Amino acid sequence: MKEQLIQYLAVPMLQIAAIIGVMLLCVMYLVLWERKLIAFMQVRMGPMRVGYHGLLQPIADVVKLLLKEDVVPKAADRWVHLISPIILMIPALACFAVIPFTGTSFEVGAFTIPLVNYDVPALTVTSWVADLNIGLLYFLAISSLGVYGLVLAGWSSNSKYSMLGSLRSAAQMISYEVPLGLSIVAILMLSGTASLVGIVEAQQEAGHWWLFWAPLGVPLLWPQFIGLFLYFVAAVAETNRAPFDLPEAETELVAGFHTEYSGMKFAFMFLAEYLNMILAALIVSVLFLGGWLPVTFGIPGLSELFGNFLPFLGGAGAAITGFFWLALKVFLVLTVYLWLRATFPRYRYDQLMSLGWKWLIPMGLAHVMVTALFMLLRG
Amino acid sequence: MSVVQRPELSLWKRLFLVELLQGMAVTFRHWWRKPTTEQYPKERPKILPRFRGIPKLQDHPDVEGILCIACNQCSIICPDDCITVLGEPRTVGKGKQAKVFILDYERCCLCGLCEEVCPTTPVPAIFMSHEYELARYKRVDLMNDMKELYEPQPTKEYLK
Repeated sequence: MKEQLIQYLAVPMLQIAAIIGVMLLCVMYLVLWERKLIAFMQVRMGPMRVGYHGLLQPIADVVKLLLKEDVVPKAADRWVHLISPIILMIPALACFAVIPFTGTSFEVGAFTIPLVNYDVPALTVTSWVADLNIGLLYFLAISSLGVYGLVLAGWSSNSKYSMLGSLRSAAQMISYEVPLGLSIVAILMLSGTASLVGIVEAQQEAGHWWLFWAPLGVPLLWPQFIGLFLYFVAAVAETNRAPFDLPEAETELVAGFHTEYSGMKFAFMFLAEYLNMILAALIVSVLFLGGWLPVTFGIPGLSELFGNFLPFLGGAGAAITGFFWLALKVFLVLTVYLWLRATFPRYRYDQLMSLGWKWLIPMGLAHVMVTALFMLLRG
Repeated sequence: MSVVQRPELSLWKRLFLVELLQGMAVTFRHWWRKPTTEQYPKERPKILPRFRGIPKLQDHPDVEGILCIACNQCSIICPDDCITVLGEPRTVGKGKQAKVFILDYERCCLCGLCEEVCPTTPVPAIFMSHEYELARYKRVDLMNDMKELYEPQPTKEYLK
């Protein structure tokens, strides 16, 4: 009984706390990196005043957001206005439950908590909170719940800008859900499992990332590049990021769905947006870029070279190395995200719809067909 | 009104998103450029010799006493009517010298006409200085009399 309590209650609680804490920190520094990178691309310097080259800027931002007055418009629906940032935030956080951060588990020996003299038995702590066998479906289902937060925020604010922003986001997110799903189907077929841990393990078995899956043995004939492209475009649209940031569209809708939000509630919406970005980058890394596998994975001779930086730590060293590789991949994917924002102007609404329905969905269907054909040919 | 006819993109360009990748290459090149930003209070801008800051008064070692001869030409040409000059007989030699000289920075448009008309030799008595920090806490501080117009404005040192 005691062992079960620790294994199924205490350990997941600690994992959840750790993931939330680390992710919030990541969001803070992602915002700084975004401001810095876009500044560099515009031949500026970005935040420079707080800390060395603005390194403490995120802390100043958080303090500012916490201390700001919370303004609720007179005509707003108070309760819905309060709840919608929470509705946005919860799915964004809940999705992190199924992400495998690293492959190797940590072995924690039996120890006694001092002062209370509580004996803790030996444990195996995984890097994921839960390895659901429907992990990918869970991710798709939960992440698309966030759109309710956007719609309700726009509706409850009782402002034309918010309303327009949330209407756009509803249409956009529903349109882009389809190519997002279609781009993943090929990965599901290749892995034969929907568990995210299983997908990375399948890549490990196959000996290459799914991105470099060459069905005919011809290098550079990698059909999953189309899958990656489709997923990436759809994910940018799903997370309402530039060039598909129509729901916010600061040049036309003031701030879109969060026009009437301030202080803590605004901070929640901001946080949810960046959490979704990190989540999309994590999913790209896990599905296409081999998750915790090293970047040299699949290259003969180099495959095992970067598998464990800290061999003297044993299993823990391998786990930390895996975490490092995943973090590096996520960082690069996020940098491409920000690079897109610094480069492209915003799409018009009709262009967005025609891109989604006329190009991405047929492409997604064709991609599934092509992958199936290749798999059939290979037997 | 005319409709701009843009050439159709070739299939190759449309298929491989060539234009989009070119755009991304442009931003990528800019990433590595040296920022043109100047960290203002920490880093002072370089003032070029012909920069026109706020007008100030000056004397010259070749001329005994006050250089300004209170001819009132600057006051007359000033488009903003911000200069007031009162003269008195010169303490050394013949002629006049300024007794009261008030310049209202609140109205001054930094056109430099006062410096141009100033007849004194070898340098104009009123000149465009290199000082550019004009912010004051009170409006009355912008009214400068002779004493203030002679002394250079101290530059504040910033810690960062």
